[in-house]
Amino acid sequence: MMLAQLVVSGIAAGMLYALVALSMTVVYRATTVVNFGHGDMVAAGAYAVLVFAVGLGMPFAAALVLATVVLFLFGVLLQRVLLQPIIAGPHLSLAMMVLAVGFTLRGAERLEWGNEVINLARPYPRGVFMLGSVVVTMDDLVITGCVLALLLVLFVVFHVTPIGRIIQAVFQTERGAALVGINVRAFHAVMWGTGAALGAIGGVLLALIVPLTPDMGQWVLLQGFAAMTIGGFGSLYGALVGGVLLGMMQNVLGFYVGTVFIDITAYLVIILVLLIRPNGLFGRRSTVRV
Amino acid sequence: MPIHKALFALMATAIVALHAAPACADSTQGITDTTIKIGNLGPFTGESAVFDPLNYGPEAYLRYVNAQGGVNGRKFETVFADSACNEAKGIAAAKKLIYEDKVFMIMGNPCSGVAMAIKPMLDKEGVPWIGISANPKLTTPPVLNMFHTTYTGVQSGHAMASFAMSKPGVTKIALVQHSNDWAHGYCDPAVDYIKQHGGEVVVSTVMERGSTSATAQVLQIKASGAQAVMGCLYQQELVIFLRDMQKFGVNAITLGALGADFEQTTRDVGDPDAVRGKFFQPYQFKAKLGEGPLQKFHDIFVTYLTKAELPKQGEPTNFYYFGVPAGIVTVEAFRRAGPHPTRESWEAAIESIKDFDTGVLADNETFSAANHVGVERMFAIGLDGNGQEVVYKSWGEKVGN
Repeated sequence: MMLAQLVVSGIAAGMLYALVALSMTVVYRATTVVNFGHGDMVAAGAYAVLVFAVGLGMPFAAALVLATVVLFLFGVLLQRVLLQPIIAGPHLSLAMMVLAVGFTLRGAERLEWGNEVINLARPYPRGVFMLGSVVVTMDDLVITGCVLALLLVLFVVFHVTPIGRIIQAVFQTERGAALVGINVRAFHAVMWGTGAALGAIGGVLLALIVPLTPDMGQWVLLQGFAAMTIGGFGSLYGALVGGVLLGMMQNVLGFYVGTVFIDITAYLVIILVLLIRPNGLFGRRSTVRV
Repeated sequence: MPIHKALFALMATAIVALHAAPACADSTQGITDTTIKIGNLGPFTGESAVFDPLNYGPEAYLRYVNAQGGVNGRKFETVFADSACNEAKGIAAAKKLIYEDKVFMIMGNPCSGVAMAIKPMLDKEGVPWIGISANPKLTTPPVLNMFHTTYTGVQSGHAMASFAMSKPGVTKIALVQHSNDWAHGYCDPAVDYIKQHGGEVVVSTVMERGSTSATAQVLQIKASGAQAVMGCLYQQELVIFLRDMQKFGVNAITLGALGADFEQTTRDVGDPDAVRGKFFQPYQFKAKLGEGPLQKFHDIFVTYLTKAELPKQGEPTNFYYFGVPAGIVTVEAFRRAGPHPTRESWEAAIESIKDFDTGVLADNETFSAANHVGVERMFAIGLDGNGQEVVYKSWGEKVGN
């Protein structure tokens, strides 16, 4: 029964990692850029809801929608104003730019809320349910439900709508996509916006279970990278499966081996997966034809 | 005398004089006829900025004393410096305070890592330090110029363990802690106390900063049959841990370390059943915050601190009050040092303080040449069955009864 509890709680934690990994995967799949500043967009989403819900007194749902829109626009602007001008440069420049933007966001949050630990009030009643002897909370259900719903939406967008084919085309060859009339620049901006908006939703879900601090996104960012690595870079399913597996591994290793393993599981996973199966569970091997 | 010997003697004299000169010249650094310059070193930015009320507490008291006319005709002039709780930044900030701003002393400094990093510099330059850092190694064994006016991790760790073990039948105790020096500063003395008093540490778990869940830790504690938990965690993680203790129905009581604010923690857990009669913390004060003798200090905070220095919402928290004794003892030492204070006379004045009531802390301040930690006795605070804050001497024994 203890194992069942560890697995169930691990799934709920893993769903959050999966959402962060999903939002980074969306950007990576469309632009091949890894957003090292994504943890700060996660936190920014939570703070945006705080501002709208507590500061301006808006209903939680409206605050969430508005925060998602604001972060979407932020992602679009980030790409158009800061990344597009250096898009032809080395990947390292792009990585440094997003990292710098992330630190700037965090610094701005610290100016206003740096000496406070804030709690975001849940918009639903607290609840604990028993599945046999396994404890499940309302938070677990809300987080899991939201992530699965978002995954479903992404699945439809990526695999059923024309947008999915555009994404695939740009991912395979930007030049080819441009030749067939796709506005690659606008597409990149929209995908950065989408990634930031998804990250914002992840931040709000995270804020339901942990206090708000400007650094709240850093732990889940690392877990998101590990989840991407397990699942395979660029794979939506991989992000989900990787996140859930990581959450379960942390709990099981932490309980049966030692709690010190919880913190290093993500690092161990990244090292082992990159050594043994560099493309992860669902990632595709990239080949260059000559 | 041959000329080369004469030159050698002259050079040797010059070198000795150069080394000796600063110690003499520095003993009144920061003192003028009308001002005393104090360096206030703290984490005003960065992820540890939640601790900066520990710096604003004593600052409020100095402003209050200035408003009363100062001490022996001098008013305090504070120079703030940001350590961000980072050793490298802390050393740079302390250097600026000592060599550029030329302060008389450094106060505040809630971060143990920074305090340990600047200790050699303070020692070398003879700069007095009154800090709030929990690390007992700063002042034990005593060094001439460094003083703790508040509790170190040793007193706090003992208070955590002694309160837990004052509950009848409690001998099996669990630990949950960060893996950093700060957490060990509380939990190690708690473990010493537990072992010395017939208790047993049944499980020791680690919960790192940034964690979003305490599932594995709580389930280990549940499986161990522990009756009490020493929670050497910062506030964010303590909140998550207490929520998970409630989620998994673990009834062991939890004693939190002083890195968390009691009122904020109980509020942020968001579930009264998770903290009533289950969560306690060592309590440093002689009354509830803002009540009885502490009312005076509440008024000082709201009068003399700016809006930016006060909490954005709610009343001044525990950390404001906990910082104040550094200011009170500093002022008292200047009073005792007389109209012409030097660093030496100021340090001697502190060592002359015996059984001195700050009006804030549970214990009176007593220093000597052999003891530079002024206070020892602590109470515990918790919420009773009605959710009211209660200050306890030991399990079930309220202060004032």
